Amino acid sequence: MNISTAFAPPFKLVAPFFIIGVSTFVVTILLMFGFEFENLHYFNSSTLAWVHIFLLAFVMLIILGAMAQLIPVVLEVGHLAVDLYYAIYPLMILGTLLMAFGFYNLPILLPFGGVTVLIALFIFLIETFLTILKVKKINFIISTIIISNIFLLLGVIIGIALALNYSGIFSFDSFKLLKAHIFLVFFGYVGTTVMSMSLILLPMFWLSHSFTWVYVKTAFILLCFSICFMLFFTFSSITLVEDIAYTLCISSLFLYFLQIFVIYKKRVRVEVDIYFKSMLFSYFSLFTSLSLFFIYFFYSKDNLLLCASWLLFVGFIGFLISGHLYKIVPFLVWYERFSIFVGKKRVPMLNDLIPKKSSNFQFLNSSIGVIIVSLSFLLESDTLYKSGLCFLTLGVIFLLKDILYMAKIKEETYVF
Amino acid sequence: MYSKEEIFKAVSTVIDPEVGFNLVEMGLIYDASCNEKMEVVVTMTLSTKACPLHQLIVQWVEEAVLRELPKVQIAKVDLVWEPAWNISMANENVKQQLGSF
Repeated sequence: MNISTAFAPPFKLVAPFFIIGVSTFVVTILLMFGFEFENLHYFNSSTLAWVHIFLLAFVMLIILGAMAQLIPVVLEVGHLAVDLYYAIYPLMILGTLLMAFGFYNLPILLPFGGVTVLIALFIFLIETFLTILKVKKINFIISTIIISNIFLLLGVIIGIALALNYSGIFSFDSFKLLKAHIFLVFFGYVGTTVMSMSLILLPMFWLSHSFTWVYVKTAFILLCFSICFMLFFTFSSITLVEDIAYTLCISSLFLYFLQIFVIYKKRVRVEVDIYFKSMLFSYFSLFTSLSLFFIYFFYSKDNLLLCASWLLFVGFIGFLISGHLYKIVPFLVWYERFSIFVGKKRVPMLNDLIPKKSSNFQFLNSSIGVIIVSLSFLLESDTLYKSGLCFLTLGVIFLLKDILYMAKIKEETYVF
Repeated sequence: MYSKEEIFKAVSTVIDPEVGFNLVEMGLIYDASCNEKMEVVVTMTLSTKACPLHQLIVQWVEEAVLRELPKVQIAKVDLVWEPAWNISMANENVKQQLGSF
């Protein structure tokens, strides 16, 4: 696999995805102060609004921005029309805002928000599928991208149906559709994308070599079956099918975790930088989350489910994203502003562009925050919950500060 | 004609910005030769196939040879993936800095 750097999109196209995404992360943490602790575990409108803001305007925006950069790496061809990405993030933000207001106050806005998000994602999907048509040979990673994008399309279409139902336009039992929506979008798109991109990014950043991919390939197949089973359950009433879907999903994530451990054991690069620390915390959260989901199977206590979901969202996804941002943003900045001086002048290394003290402070506060909030869910303590959020707020504000600092680094600062 | 050592010395001015070591220290340069027409071919690999700086690094190596060895007429890179790079190919300093000891 060879990347053509000539295909890389300009930094000004990718930067808004990351900056707006991290800003939204700050907003979602601040919004959590407004939750009533006792009602948090219910599927109330505030929780739904929060989940959609977190997933659409933080997780999805960052993934879409990263994919703008990674698609040429994976496909080894240039984007068909990379400028379309300039339309994606405004539509995603508008769609998220409409959906958030829809959940909070005006359910009639939900279909409008859903359709706006659908248009944004449709642009992304069309651009990606047409770019894939330029590829001559489909390998495993490309096939994962195709499958994950199909899941995303189906998930968003079901989401629109749910929005119509929630706003009162349709009237049907939406609980099964909701499960299919969650599985298709969260596990079907976010999960498979994280898995397939890990195949490229982790060995590259850790300098890991000579290991088997069998675990992640099996994990991917199991996850696909899990989503198909959940879709089948949506249109049937066989609860056994639903149980199989859950079991396959958890087994898949455990296998993915095992693959990460194999890559970790084979790593050459052992320096404990902000990326490494973030990855460790992220995978530690994933493992704890999966264990809690597993226990929930037997004990069905809501606080276990809440804690597992929290660790999956903020502990795993949040730290996975923030860790990668400390690699991706300096690389993009360095590539655009410093690579032209190589061989002519002294240039900084990628590592020099990261604000080390600030990033460590960010990691410390964020990790303490996630741990305390997790404990607050298990112990059902409102005081712990609020104090954990205080740490986390400080952490995510510093994350935003670091991203802005790295994005604004100028040539004059380092090249003389 | 330039010797293999002279070409390696020229290439050692190219630094991988991700790890901060030069390509020769990393063990990424497998071979180099110069013919009578002063055409240099550098056989090298990268630490990972998915290296996003793939094209730039190749370009830097060619530029470094032309810059450091003024009599060279043409510099080419032959990028190979066999044998695949591993840490045992790096020098002791790199192994120590990366923490592989």
